[in-house]
Amino acid sequence: MKGFSRRGLLASTASTFVLSGLTGGGRAIAAAAIPANTTPHPDTEWRHYAADQANTRYSPLDQINGTNFNDLEIAWSFKTDALGARKEYQFEATPLLIKGRLFTTAGSRRDCIALDAATGELLWMHRLDEGQRALNSPRQLSGHGVSYWTDGTKERILYVTIGYQLVSLDAATGLPDPEFGTNGVVDLKRDFDQDIDPVTADVGLHSTPLVVKDVAVIGAAHTAGDVPEIRQNVKGYVRGFDIRTGRRKWIFHTIPLKGEFGYDSWVAGDAEKAGNTGCWAQMSADEELGLVYIPVELPTGDETGVFRRGDALFGESLVAVDIETGVRKWHYQMVHHGLWDRDIPCAPILCDIPYKGRIVKALAQPTKQAYLYVLDRTNGKPLWPIVERKVEAGDVPGEWYAPTQPVPTKPPAYDVQGVSIDDLIDFTPELRAQAVEFVKNYKIGPLFTPPVMSKPGRWGTISAPGVQGGTNWPGGSYDPETHIVYVYSKTQPSVVGIVANSDTSVSEFPFVHGIDGMRPRKMPRMGAESGGVDFRPPPPPPPRPGQKAGTFPGFLTVQGLPLLKPPYGRITAIDLTKGDIAWQVAHGETPDNVRNHPALKGLKIPRTGRPGNLGPLTTKTLVICGEAGFYTNEYGVRGAMLRAYDKATGEEKGAVYMAAPQSGSPMTYMLRGKQYIVVAIGGGNYSAELVAYRLPGRA
Amino acid sequence: MMDRNSKLHLWGSAGIGGALLLLGGAIAHAQGTARTVWDGVYTADQADRGKAAYGEQCAACHGPTLAGIDVAPPLSGNAFLNNWNNTSAGDLFDRIHSTMPLNNPGSLGAKTVSDIEAYMFQANGFPAGKTALPPSQPMMAGIKILATKPAG
Repeated sequence: MKGFSRRGLLASTASTFVLSGLTGGGRAIAAAAIPANTTPHPDTEWRHYAADQANTRYSPLDQINGTNFNDLEIAWSFKTDALGARKEYQFEATPLLIKGRLFTTAGSRRDCIALDAATGELLWMHRLDEGQRALNSPRQLSGHGVSYWTDGTKERILYVTIGYQLVSLDAATGLPDPEFGTNGVVDLKRDFDQDIDPVTADVGLHSTPLVVKDVAVIGAAHTAGDVPEIRQNVKGYVRGFDIRTGRRKWIFHTIPLKGEFGYDSWVAGDAEKAGNTGCWAQMSADEELGLVYIPVELPTGDETGVFRRGDALFGESLVAVDIETGVRKWHYQMVHHGLWDRDIPCAPILCDIPYKGRIVKALAQPTKQAYLYVLDRTNGKPLWPIVERKVEAGDVPGEWYAPTQPVPTKPPAYDVQGVSIDDLIDFTPELRAQAVEFVKNYKIGPLFTPPVMSKPGRWGTISAPGVQGGTNWPGGSYDPETHIVYVYSKTQPSVVGIVANSDTSVSEFPFVHGIDGMRPRKMPRMGAESGGVDFRPPPPPPPRPGQKAGTFPGFLTVQGLPLLKPPYGRITAIDLTKGDIAWQVAHGETPDNVRNHPALKGLKIPRTGRPGNLGPLTTKTLVICGEAGFYTNEYGVRGAMLRAYDKATGEEKGAVYMAAPQSGSPMTYMLRGKQYIVVAIGGGNYSAELVAYRLPGRA
Repeated sequence: MMDRNSKLHLWGSAGIGGALLLLGGAIAHAQGTARTVWDGVYTADQADRGKAAYGEQCAACHGPTLAGIDVAPPLSGNAFLNNWNNTSAGDLFDRIHSTMPLNNPGSLGAKTVSDIEAYMFQANGFPAGKTALPPSQPMMAGIKILATKPAG
């Protein structure tokens, strides 16, 4: 390569490697390297994170189907170890497929890459070394991928760096677009309606930009708020940028300013001082209606709301704003003044469904709390009634409790909500009896049972779904032909106890998430100075009745087995023509520690599924989803399976081996007569890899 | 079968080749009786040190009770145990040492990593013992992580 040297590349802050089709002047024509399709099967594309702006994660392809799924072979795989200064193990991206090229972010530095979709060969790579700014980011690693824009001539790939910069690249070459921002980069920490430090401010983003018309919509994410270090954290406003120039077109204040709609939902003065309230989830858009749908998280304090009193809009709300102006059209708050960390974690699925004799432009929002909220997306009104039900207040001094919470009447919850004795492990009467004793040390109750002050004998509230859901960031999938939503969820409860905190060097909050007797530990923002490292050992945890030495309160197991009954992970099909569950299956082979547990010897336990964060893919006939977490198979080999279910019935039609669990949701495409399924895997001791499957035979 | 004298003779005069032969036998023996995390592979003091280091270095992402958050996996409980079942303490050490904490990987130092690993073992219910986890990946490569306590 002309003028190329490793030293030169490393010395610059931004670099693009162009690995094919180099012509004069360092330009590349990567697209020309992709041969034309001469087969009768037209090539298909995958232009958005979840297939389309509606986030359906659906493709009508059927070359891979229930009769041949078990024949799938690895077409190619791409290990991401060399991207970034170290290996990555949490590869959450779904690549895009445009004109035979796959585009994604990858590696521990979140480089942006283009691959030949038939072979996995690297076409180009763009790398931005942001130094300390990236190391301070609350959202590290490779992120969820990239976005694509074209006006028919120009093609652009956009992604958000670890250090919260928006980059626009020429899709053919990977070179920054000189007409966008400053040399192809927009600093997202500026022009943010708040003055923040570009290096240390607590803001970043895993999600891909939402590209709609000529606008890139960008959310914001922050350090988790269990033990928030400070009260006045960065505010997670959402912005729209002109995709050609990088100029900010609009900003939506997720925490309303005085005089703006929603400000009055805060107790006086709290809105000004609150932070977070970002949108870290993917978003959806309807170009015809001209609306962007923004899922919003909580204001600062995931389980304590003493500094965000009131319903505090737009916390845990879905907000529809105008694509061109960012002006709010409607909003729907799914949890009032949340105390359970139920940020809306994923994009709503836009769906046109038959309802009472007409087709309704609707949306279906999967959530951590395992309700699928179905709203009219033109106005935010529920399709099936959602009723305000009275809920219990907790005992945290100074906390503000919402008297009611909205409860959907349809569709039914798709995972366990709240904890009752019936939900406890029951493989054997002995295990059930121990579980009954165990929960006497906690508060249990229905969904929306509040967190309580932690004390010996009542360590906290067992929250199910737990703080990670239910469903999390991958979201669901939707079949537009049958109007069925497919969603994965896990049954993994959390203990939510609250403890007093008087040490402002740990947190400015007087109450934080914790367990009595375990001194609240500083949960520093990534960008904070780490000075004053305290290596004094904390006091030993208090003894717990019936608890073995060496284990702690907050550890929800009975004889090492999960406290709640399986399934631990499941896929649910929800029929939106009826608002009912069509089928539900445990997803994932039974975990090793359950299969091998001495207390369960001789028992026949049906497949339990495994917990994780998974996004299913729907095709013409199948629902396809890899497993979460590792298991050891009958050959003694660790790994996970990529499984396919008959989408009509939930019957398993096949499964192929993966060396590691699904870490990013799968996508599919047809290229020169062959259907491919591509999925990101990794975790445990297996570093990140992108794997492409196809049927055997000539490529 | 060699008697004691022949062994000594080997050590004394057979040179490197013989020594390697014996060493090979020793390794085979060690593998035959490989230790697992259920055999008391860390000390309680070490876990206490690890707990303090965890609070400073890990809790921001993995949570104060090791339960994980939206962007970081749990380090305790069933999901953690099954993810690491049939790997080794050395594998886990390597992952932590080379990638954590995310904003300053490689900064912890081997001793702190082994302390944190000891704390994770304690939190997952593996018993403490009299010997600390060594601050070295190869030295703990023979300690198998088993999610379930082996019979007997």
